[in-house]
Amino acid sequence: MSIRQSSIFLAIALVLAAACAPAGTPGTSGSPGASPSASAGGAATTLVIDRDTSDLISLDPAVLYEFSAVFATHNVYETLVKFEGTDLTTPKASLATSWDVKDAGTTNDITFKLKSGVKFASGNPLTADDVVYSFQRAIKLNKSPAFLFTDIAGLKPESIKATDPSTVVVSVPKTSSTQTFLIILTFTIGGIVDSKEAKAHEASGDFGSAYLLDHSAGSGPFAVDHWTKNTEVLLKANPNYGGTKPALSAVLFKHVPEPANQQFALEKGDIDIANDLGPEQITALQGKAGVTTTSADSLLLVYVGMNAMVKPLDNVKVREALRTAVDYDGIIKDLLKGNGSKVQGIVPKGLAGYNDSAPFQADVSKAKDLLQQAGQTSVTLDFLVPTGQAPGGAAWSDIAAKLKSDWAKIGVTVNIKQTTTADLLGTYRAQKGQLVMINWGPDYPDPGANVNPFTDYKAKSIAYRNGWDDATIAQKAHDAELTADPAKRVAAYKDIGDYVLHNGPYVVLYQPKELFGLRSNVKGFNWSSIGWAELASVTK
Amino acid sequence: MRFLGFLTRRIVGIAAVMVGVSIITFAISHIIPADPIAAALGDHATDQQIEAFRSEYHLDRPLPEQYLTYVVGLAHGDLGRSIRTRRPVADDLFDSFPATIELSLAALIVAIVVGIPAGVWSAISRGRLPDHFVRLVSLVGGSIPVFWLGLIVIGLFYYKLGWFPGGGRIDNFVTPPPTRTGLYVLDSLLAGDFEALRSSVLHLVLPALTLGYFSTAVIARMTRSSMLEVLGQDYMRTARAKGLQERLVVLRHGLRNALIPTVTILGLTFGSLLSGAVLTETIFSWPGLGRYATAAAIALDFPAVLGVTLLAAIVYPVANLVVDIAYFWLDPRTQHG
Repeated sequence: MSIRQSSIFLAIALVLAAACAPAGTPGTSGSPGASPSASAGGAATTLVIDRDTSDLISLDPAVLYEFSAVFATHNVYETLVKFEGTDLTTPKASLATSWDVKDAGTTNDITFKLKSGVKFASGNPLTADDVVYSFQRAIKLNKSPAFLFTDIAGLKPESIKATDPSTVVVSVPKTSSTQTFLIILTFTIGGIVDSKEAKAHEASGDFGSAYLLDHSAGSGPFAVDHWTKNTEVLLKANPNYGGTKPALSAVLFKHVPEPANQQFALEKGDIDIANDLGPEQITALQGKAGVTTTSADSLLLVYVGMNAMVKPLDNVKVREALRTAVDYDGIIKDLLKGNGSKVQGIVPKGLAGYNDSAPFQADVSKAKDLLQQAGQTSVTLDFLVPTGQAPGGAAWSDIAAKLKSDWAKIGVTVNIKQTTTADLLGTYRAQKGQLVMINWGPDYPDPGANVNPFTDYKAKSIAYRNGWDDATIAQKAHDAELTADPAKRVAAYKDIGDYVLHNGPYVVLYQPKELFGLRSNVKGFNWSSIGWAELASVTK
Repeated sequence: MRFLGFLTRRIVGIAAVMVGVSIITFAISHIIPADPIAAALGDHATDQQIEAFRSEYHLDRPLPEQYLTYVVGLAHGDLGRSIRTRRPVADDLFDSFPATIELSLAALIVAIVVGIPAGVWSAISRGRLPDHFVRLVSLVGGSIPVFWLGLIVIGLFYYKLGWFPGGGRIDNFVTPPPTRTGLYVLDSLLAGDFEALRSSVLHLVLPALTLGYFSTAVIARMTRSSMLEVLGQDYMRTARAKGLQERLVVLRHGLRNALIPTVTILGLTFGSLLSGAVLTETIFSWPGLGRYATAAAIALDFPAVLGVTLLAAIVYPVANLVVDIAYFWLDPRTQHG
């Protein structure tokens, strides 16, 4: 055998060896069992959640503004005030034991008294300085969520002061609402960061944000162990947590984008919670042993915007006719398989100020009357629709087809134009749409987060995109936001809701639900519409 | 010398391809009427946020200037910053490319180890049952869509039988080996971590079979036909006539010569494995380049799409270069002619 020949055979032998060698290691033939390792703290008390986490950018509370990050870090950082359970109307005490609001001339000052004895995961005590540092840090970093502090609450770095180690005073300008600020504080941007840890990891004035991207410095029930990009985030129980110790030793978020794979893994018992199931998977899971399913309201609204600058949509009666003609029940029952609620106002169920009035349902003769009163007998409009699946699990195109047939019954012809969401937004933002179907979710769980964009033309958001410039209702919305008395505030928002329901340029179609698959032994998993669950109270 | 000259020409060629690819991809991604900012910032963004974003990514500059900025960065090893992940594209590629290499290599090994012997077996038993069997299996392999095959494979071997894991690179509760090459199998061998080795090999099986099936079929058919051609040659009759064992006739005189066209196919196959990985990675939740590219394309993340395209533009010619070098080694005629 020549040298060349023997080297060929050697090469082939090596390739074969490489292919076979791993198969020779122990236990290859067995099924892929979950064997505990030090890193995850063992399978028994680790909760495994399959979720599409491709939206993750950072786990830093001052930087993150993505759904997966909000869910994970809500369980890592504590806030001064918080919503309890799934209620999203009344902030309750958390790190702050009490707070009062005082009129201080041009500002309303909120004085927070901090709970004593709270420690961060590092063991450092949590003091007023940490609170001041955390809020100023969020403002100075000026990342995605910073507008909640700067634009909505009107804060500047100097608006936050510590008057003693357990007292923080925040001066909210009178142009912003203290009520709204308290609600913003419940969100991840209100998370209190261990200032000593953050400063210890600061690099070139980044307030430690490069470090906190995939580490944590909070006082919550869990701490970030690691985030392997595109693969997983592991949270481990925080030994220094002052509240009721969580039953779980760790929580593993696995990046699994395919709902079908999530369903398989759940049925096999490889995971505990499947986070992104559609109606198809839920149907397939019905009656399967060891598995339960649950759903929770989201805060999204799926709606059609009607451009009030386009004839004949400038006529309020034409808009009312379009709303009146739609078969909402049919969309929810047949297209969404019940995976949505009939909500027709601009504030979703779950938020304070939700108006349960839903007067429209496929009244063809009334809709025709309205068109006649408006002097219209046949109307043709362009209808812009996104590609893919709408929240709730039906295809956008199916909902569009259903609306087209509903509107055809009253003599309104629509030409469906389907395009990517990015393209659609380009047209919509430039006020160039006629009928545009899309969804909206509030930036923070306060009615103002919906009512302002839906009513204030000058905010250059939804009202602007639909060319609806109604200064009276915008002023009412602003007044409602600044109303201090919670009951009066809710009443004011309900009034606005009633007005927009019949005068606004919107056909609010439904409020979708989110669907989850759980192993039967998982208890205490309660999804809050804002996008998280308290994992400290989950057992398995 | 001839070899060196050849190598130089090929490397210059690869550089030219890179420049061409970068211009074309850059032009296409910036001319199509889609707004990456709307995709990145969603419908809540204010005008100020949009303006800030536009200037951060130089999207407010004229196109030639944007390209120049990009190329200058490229010369410094800077592939820009991803719009979707907000990280340097080079870091993202560095994280996801090894996963794809591992999967493609595993699939290539399947293709070689199964495809070549199957082709030989089929050729020497031409017209008989083994031949029909191999031809049928390769016909199916050549025509079945990867996406469908992946779902069937997961449904059968993970969901029904439970022999192999259904997705990911390693078990939930097994710590990945410390990164040296980024290939889990190799890294766990280097670390002597047999738990991680076992888990990462098991996780490779189904995606590698799924991705490798098409290439296995192509290689089996290629080997079969070139083997049939070789088996009829005069030198084969001579080898037999001089009393050589049939096994040696087939392997030494037959396969050696039949392998040359197969090697050509191997180079192309490796390229097709990388593109096939897009679907396979999606089905098997494999955190590789294919899935990164898909997510980037959906998000109109142009810097990331450019980065992936350039990387692919290097991999294809390099794979072909390796094939050409293998020719020098396999076929002495190419060294003289």
